[in-house]
Amino acid sequence: MSALVQTVEAQPLLSVQGLTKHFPARNGRIVHAVEDVSFDVQRGSTVGLVGESGSGKTTAGRALLRLVEPTGGKALFDGVDLFSLSSRDMRAYRQKLQIVFQDPFSSLNPRMRVAAIIGEALDARGFPRGKKRAERVAELLTLVGLSPDHASRYPHEFSGGQRQRIGIARALAVEPQFIVADEPVSALDVSVQAQVLNLFGDLQRKLGLTLLFIAHDLSVVEYLCDEVVVMYLGRVMERGPSRLVYAAPRHPYTKALLATAPVPDPTRRRSHIPLHGDIPSPIDPPSGCVFRTRCPEAIAACAETVPPVEPVGGGHHVACIRHNEKMSDWSLK
Amino acid sequence: MTEPFASDVILSVRDLRTWFVTRRLTAKAVDGVTFDLKRGKTLAVVGESGSGKSVTSLSIMGLLSRPGAIAGGSILFRDRQERVHDLAGFSQKQFRKMRGSEIAMIFQEPMTSLNPLFTVGDQIGEMIALHEPVDRREARKRALAMLKHVEIPDAESRLDDYPHQMSGGMRQRVMIAMALSCSPSLLIADEPTTALDVTIQAQILDLLRRLQAEMGMSILFITHNLGVVAEIAHDVVVMYGGRVVEQAPVNDLFAHQRHPYTRGLLACTPNAARDIDAAGERRALYSIPGSVPPITNLPPGCAFEPRCDFAIAPCRAAPPALVPAGPHGASRCIRSAEL
Repeated sequence: MSALVQTVEAQPLLSVQGLTKHFPARNGRIVHAVEDVSFDVQRGSTVGLVGESGSGKTTAGRALLRLVEPTGGKALFDGVDLFSLSSRDMRAYRQKLQIVFQDPFSSLNPRMRVAAIIGEALDARGFPRGKKRAERVAELLTLVGLSPDHASRYPHEFSGGQRQRIGIARALAVEPQFIVADEPVSALDVSVQAQVLNLFGDLQRKLGLTLLFIAHDLSVVEYLCDEVVVMYLGRVMERGPSRLVYAAPRHPYTKALLATAPVPDPTRRRSHIPLHGDIPSPIDPPSGCVFRTRCPEAIAACAETVPPVEPVGGGHHVACIRHNEKMSDWSLK
Repeated sequence: MTEPFASDVILSVRDLRTWFVTRRLTAKAVDGVTFDLKRGKTLAVVGESGSGKSVTSLSIMGLLSRPGAIAGGSILFRDRQERVHDLAGFSQKQFRKMRGSEIAMIFQEPMTSLNPLFTVGDQIGEMIALHEPVDRREARKRALAMLKHVEIPDAESRLDDYPHQMSGGMRQRVMIAMALSCSPSLLIADEPTTALDVTIQAQILDLLRRLQAEMGMSILFITHNLGVVAEIAHDVVVMYGGRVVEQAPVNDLFAHQRHPYTRGLLACTPNAARDIDAAGERRALYSIPGSVPPITNLPPGCAFEPRCDFAIAPCRAAPPALVPAGPHGASRCIRSAEL
């Protein structure tokens, strides 16, 4: 796409370019947690970041907010590179970018009342104390489906789903434009997950929020996200509009993920299991394509170079040198 | 001690009550649970936190810790010699004899069940030596055969690995090897794939299915995941608030739910084909209002009544009975015929 066309199109709210995060390991070795990850998040949309444990999805989300310092790459937020900001300037940006954590039990201070938990976030943006503040807390609690009189209670008085709502209210307190939600429903009971997913949908409609939704549950991402980024061992395997990626996955890893996710329908038990073995160590990732050691379609050339993330039409991108060849059909029986 | 039950049933839990009684309160974690597990089949017990599914499995294995105790009912188990035992009255000594050789168990987190100080080969070998008169060499040989049986690649070299050197999926395979090393007739699997990634989960479910076909063991599978139930179960028991609310063969249950809770659980699992319309617009997900009530504070009538779309006045009066519903199932709902 030429530079001219790009300027005509709406600029994405967040453009992640070559995000890389290395951690030092013992004996001077390096953990390649996130390696050269790029994707855009359009204003008002939801992008899902999916992958198994060890895929780097959580580290990528945290590095974007600089909760861990990225090793390389850019994160252009409204055109400003978050990674080049001083820590002082970054603090100002933190109000625009918030995070909701997975575990609603450990992410709320048990010794603080709800009003103080949300109030702390209001402090951060210099919200005045007094009656106005109590009103704002009540407003936020109502927004996330809680009652204003919950403000005087402690976290332990709430169920898991309610605590997650408090975490969301805290994130919303600073009126962010962008929220990273790191597995926000996976610690919740199934009957409560739907409530919180609906809340995210409502908030997005009401507030025009832009969301990066990190998850391992593919059906949740398919339902909630406009676009999906599939990660494996720190790298992007495939990305694009959810309806394209789910209807016609092009990468063998995405195909395997979709084929192995259990479906609540006993008449659709799968025929065979395509993936063998475990995810390799990020300390010494395989050469070439990081997925090749488990890929049923791997050939010798896969070990030689890292496959580029190539466009295949409609915003759909795939990192596989064989994506144009006909590969096995692993669809359910 | 023995009561008659159908010859194709290996485990018959009848009116089981497991209570946690302290001076201040009584938590009826399991309150009148009844189900049968057929020989060579898999029965899934599904429920959310606080449903009593795990306490049920701990009761069967004799692994309750105080103040939890069986307050009533029976757990009838048919051993290989066709003798029927009531596990509810078993002493720890009796349980030790039964565990491993007749009944084995695997758990959610294999790391906490494996000893970090011994190699996996030693641990499987010890399990075998405990139940059969074999020497060290024979035990090691058998341990190696078990590792191969559960498809651990390069089993010879993994025999001398310590648990921390293995991935979560490999550790769960070791747990399965240990559990099956003495060919138990009943395997109790308590959320064995919950901590695993989907591609690994699929491998473990596939392995359990294959081993069941080869060894003919019966499996009691505890889970919260309906997708996993659809993958592995022959029959399903749905628990809520310490009671069975619905039971049915797996195909019947997914085709037609006869309890509002089961129906709600399936409806609130996102399904893009159903929840996104042709224009790409998301419909709000069905959600069950409220949350799972604490077991110490259940409503007086039906435990699900406060969250139920179908609730009417009589639901609040008394706990409903589990009544036959559908061709081979049962439902604890007074309106099950209308569903």
